[in-house]
Amino acid sequence: MIEKKFTEDHEWVSIDGNIATVGISNHAQESLGDIVFIELPVIGKTVKAKEEICVIESVKAASDIYSPLDGEIIEVNNSLENEPSIINQEAENNGWIFKIKLAEQSQYEELMNHEDYQKFLKK
Amino acid sequence: MKEHGLTLLPQDIPLRDFHISYGAKMIPFAGFNMPINYKLGIINENKNVRNSSGIFDVSHMGQILIKNTDENIKILEKYIPLNLNKIIKNRNYYSFLLNSDAGIIDDIMISKIIFNNELYFFIVYNASRKIEDEKIFLNTSESILLNNNCLFAIQGPDSHKILNKKINISENMNFLDIIITNYKSENILISRSGYTGEDGFEISIPVKFAENFLKDLINDNKTILCGLGSRDSLRLEAGLSLYGNELNENITPIEAGLTWALDKNRLNKSLNGFKKLLYQLDNIPKKKKIGIISTNKSMIRNGMNIVNKNKQILGLVTSACFSPNLNKSIAMGYIDKEINNSIDLYCVIRDKLEIMEQTKLPFIKKSYKKGGLK
Repeated sequence: MIEKKFTEDHEWVSIDGNIATVGISNHAQESLGDIVFIELPVIGKTVKAKEEICVIESVKAASDIYSPLDGEIIEVNNSLENEPSIINQEAENNGWIFKIKLAEQSQYEELMNHEDYQKFLKK
Repeated sequence: MKEHGLTLLPQDIPLRDFHISYGAKMIPFAGFNMPINYKLGIINENKNVRNSSGIFDVSHMGQILIKNTDENIKILEKYIPLNLNKIIKNRNYYSFLLNSDAGIIDDIMISKIIFNNELYFFIVYNASRKIEDEKIFLNTSESILLNNNCLFAIQGPDSHKILNKKINISENMNFLDIIITNYKSENILISRSGYTGEDGFEISIPVKFAENFLKDLINDNKTILCGLGSRDSLRLEAGLSLYGNELNENITPIEAGLTWALDKNRLNKSLNGFKKLLYQLDNIPKKKKIGIISTNKSMIRNGMNIVNKNKQILGLVTSACFSPNLNKSIAMGYIDKEINNSIDLYCVIRDKLEIMEQTKLPFIKKSYKKGGLK
């Protein structure tokens, strides 16, 4: 597993070969508050980076989740349907949301590493 | 908050630093930086109040003492649909300030108490309406704005036990009773009231004692600090209206389903908007307030339209939240009175027509200590 990277929309991505696992950052989960519902993306869908692909509803608001990269959705975390609060407890591991088969690897390199993301949050 | 081209920064409540040190997440609300929730989160705070107890710092709210004089009563009764000579001492009344068209300038709690050996009206009013309300209160004389008092609300079934350890509170005190009591040689006001549908107390206490008082209360492990997030879900579960959501200057108490709070004997020319109120008593208003529950997991949000299966607009959602006790998305709103109860109601949530279950208010059973609001 290569290091986690982050988007400006507060998603995290980790890749293994050409498969990227995506979730929302711990910071995002904290600012959303208790998550009560998630509409998972459809498996097989082709997505573009920055495209809205699913929705998380917290007690405070609904938030769109964007795809961080181009590719195809190949798996979703079904356990979130019944227990969306897993995202609150373990946003950056068991709270992963979907997996993408990457169309191209280079987009990943452009994302922020952990240190850059922390700096981005302080801006 | 923007007004007259100036940017007004939100004010701080006196115990801001205390709340932050206890993990409060602060948000601007009604011109104040307020705790929205603490580390346990909105859902846990809500459940703690229903199951045992929770404490809210609502010091953003307005508090005023207005001397009980004939002149002051004349000024207040133009706006307040109660007979202020007849309201019972040491009881709280839910009421309104009404504009000339019977629209609600604000909803208030008013009581009559003895303060420093004289009779006063004690009024608690909304932070978001301070400017409008105080324009009215300014016309009264010998009034005392309680700017140096914090206001705490301890809510939930264990609240009496917890508060009683700190201050002796008679078991005979009923819901909506209010007392003034001596605390370290100053006056504090305690009423058995709240905004959650649970038994509880609201305490108006001088700022200089407030932090230690609050610390002592939360030392009890049955209670926790709670923020505005859980307060909103608790009041919505209890079917209680919120100014700015269900109530505004274009809605009368009758349209808002709050006719019970009007003293019908006050519907004469001494009261603002009396003609409209009299008319509406005889002619059922066009709107009615209803509760709706989302039948699947999608969340209803404030401002969504309530529609029929053809997406024709029938009404509007005025308040919505996730109900921790029903484990569902719930909402209040107004719909056209003519709409038959058998018609299916929907909300459009992310382009999908989602069917709603229509329900009576409140969503949960209230647990007041006797009496109480209807």
